[in-house]
Amino acid sequence: MKRAPWLVVAGAVAGFLGVVGLHKTAAPSALASSEAQPASTARHAAQPASTASHAAQPGRARTRATPAAGAAAGAGPVTTSGALERYGYGELAARVSFSGGRIAGITVPVLRTAEQYSQQLAVQVIPTLRSEVLAAQSARINAVSGATYTSQAYAMSVQAALDKAHFR
Amino acid sequence: MSASPVAFGAPKSPADRKRKPLRSPAAPRPRPALAGLALLVAGAGLGATLAVTITSQPSSQLSARGGLLTYAGSLTGMIGTYLALIMVLLVSRIPFVERVAGQDGLLRLHRAVAPWPISLLAAHALLLTLGYAEAARAGAWHEAGVLLTRYPDVLTATIGLGLMCLIGVVSVRAVRRRLRRETWWLIHLWMYLALAISFAHVIVLGPAFVGHPLTQVVWSVAWAATAGLVLCYRVGLPLVRSLRHRLTVTEVRPEGPGVVSVICTGRRLDRLAVSGGQFFCWRFLTRGMWWQAHPYSLSALPQPPYLRLTVKAVGDHSSGLASIRPGTKIAIEGPYGAFTRYAQRRPRALLVAAGIGVTALRSLLEDLPRGSAPVVLLRLSQPADLVLGAEVRELVKHRRGTIHELVGSREEVAIDEVSLPRLVPDLAQRDVYVCGPEGFVASIVDTARNLGIPDEVIHHEAFAL
Repeated sequence: MKRAPWLVVAGAVAGFLGVVGLHKTAAPSALASSEAQPASTARHAAQPASTASHAAQPGRARTRATPAAGAAAGAGPVTTSGALERYGYGELAARVSFSGGRIAGITVPVLRTAEQYSQQLAVQVIPTLRSEVLAAQSARINAVSGATYTSQAYAMSVQAALDKAHFR
Repeated sequence: MSASPVAFGAPKSPADRKRKPLRSPAAPRPRPALAGLALLVAGAGLGATLAVTITSQPSSQLSARGGLLTYAGSLTGMIGTYLALIMVLLVSRIPFVERVAGQDGLLRLHRAVAPWPISLLAAHALLLTLGYAEAARAGAWHEAGVLLTRYPDVLTATIGLGLMCLIGVVSVRAVRRRLRRETWWLIHLWMYLALAISFAHVIVLGPAFVGHPLTQVVWSVAWAATAGLVLCYRVGLPLVRSLRHRLTVTEVRPEGPGVVSVICTGRRLDRLAVSGGQFFCWRFLTRGMWWQAHPYSLSALPQPPYLRLTVKAVGDHSSGLASIRPGTKIAIEGPYGAFTRYAQRRPRALLVAAGIGVTALRSLLEDLPRGSAPVVLLRLSQPADLVLGAEVRELVKHRRGTIHELVGSREEVAIDEVSLPRLVPDLAQRDVYVCGPEGFVASIVDTARNLGIPDEVIHHEAFAL
């Protein structure tokens, strides 16, 4: 066919623009905009402490978890496990321990990621998230920019654990 | 269409002879618009694949450690896999595509595209390994080990890639020449397996897919549909046709030195739509031949219940046909080929053939209408090389055409830019159909192009092993 290459090129341009257009209309959420932050500095950070300064920026990538309605937690050491939260590149589950009516500690017994990069990212970022939950004594924390999916999943899993314990 | 100059098959009774002979319907007309649409869709798929890859990865990744390598690895993987899909579709014998491009045209395109998916996928594996190694600040070999052992889908995909590379190497002309055709063919068939086992890791690990259910669905549907098309048109339809028509060998007639005609009988041949110039892949179900399907043109339009193919003994298979037993069952694939009267654009036609190429020319000739005045050029080394000569002359005469039999060696007789216009003064009003051995076809096509004849009116079918 004579015009065969042109037909392929025309189709490719149309297909490309079509998908890009679809992507733009479907996905501009707070999630996407925070992803577009220059997150490379967060990734390069060797110390979790330095990422905390980025995360403390006001109003960005705030995760909104539904507040638990319920009585204050009882006294004595209790541990509840949050649900397994799937996110863009993997899944994790947080486990919250309480002591004296306060969140005492959080561990992540389950962390599975799609690939190595996400694994490293999660390992770098989870200590930051943990200290933020302990400081805020709730799951309403800022995500770490550059690790939005991970932060969101962490927060949701912690919130589920808090709900189970009828915390606040 | 007029009656064939020869009735092959058993002589008819007087009552039969009075009844009008049955005909097979012509093959469906090719629709170039549909093929054009297919090209648009294929292009759109490529563009969409590129787009989902780019939009699923934040540009910030490029400045991350190992990010550029990982990004490139992602791109090469997606494009390479998409091209692999196209490769499968090219040889899946989808009728409306095959009618326009011809099976031989599709195979040529398949061979031309082949290095790209294999190279891109090999690059994909290498780039990702290096990229991940840099991100994790590990050595490349260590990272490769991690990739292979920690994620089971990657191991199977790597085996698939290895198979693909093997098939690529084996198909390089220098290597392929040294293998028997059946060995090469068997190795090549493993490509289906390689693609099947590589499928999982794409959906599970690719950033364009993880968390993007629509992309996953569309990709899966595309692959499932391709598998369906292959099963339907490479396996199903040939099987149905073979069972419906139940061809068997009736007679083997010698036509000349080293050339035989095989007359076959079949049921419901008035339902087998064939055009002159088309070919089937023939699988003779007898010891030593049942596992090969070879392409041979019909040497005449079907005369239900008879079909005829005329074959020159060149390789093992064609030589074996001379001694094939009547009653042998045949499985067919086809009809294939765009070398038909439908391809004609200009008011008249020039048919050029050498050697056994006259078989396709003979059946194409039968399909040309009565007053069409074709010019036929037959190129032969010796007079004895001409098979079906009487039939060709009769058919040409009936259509008020001209026939030139050019006998002699290549030095004595040449069809070139000087002799061709002299033989065919009204070349500008004729389509050129060429058929014969590869070298011959190539040289005639070259000559025609050099004379300014546009590609759309040059049609060729090269007989090659």
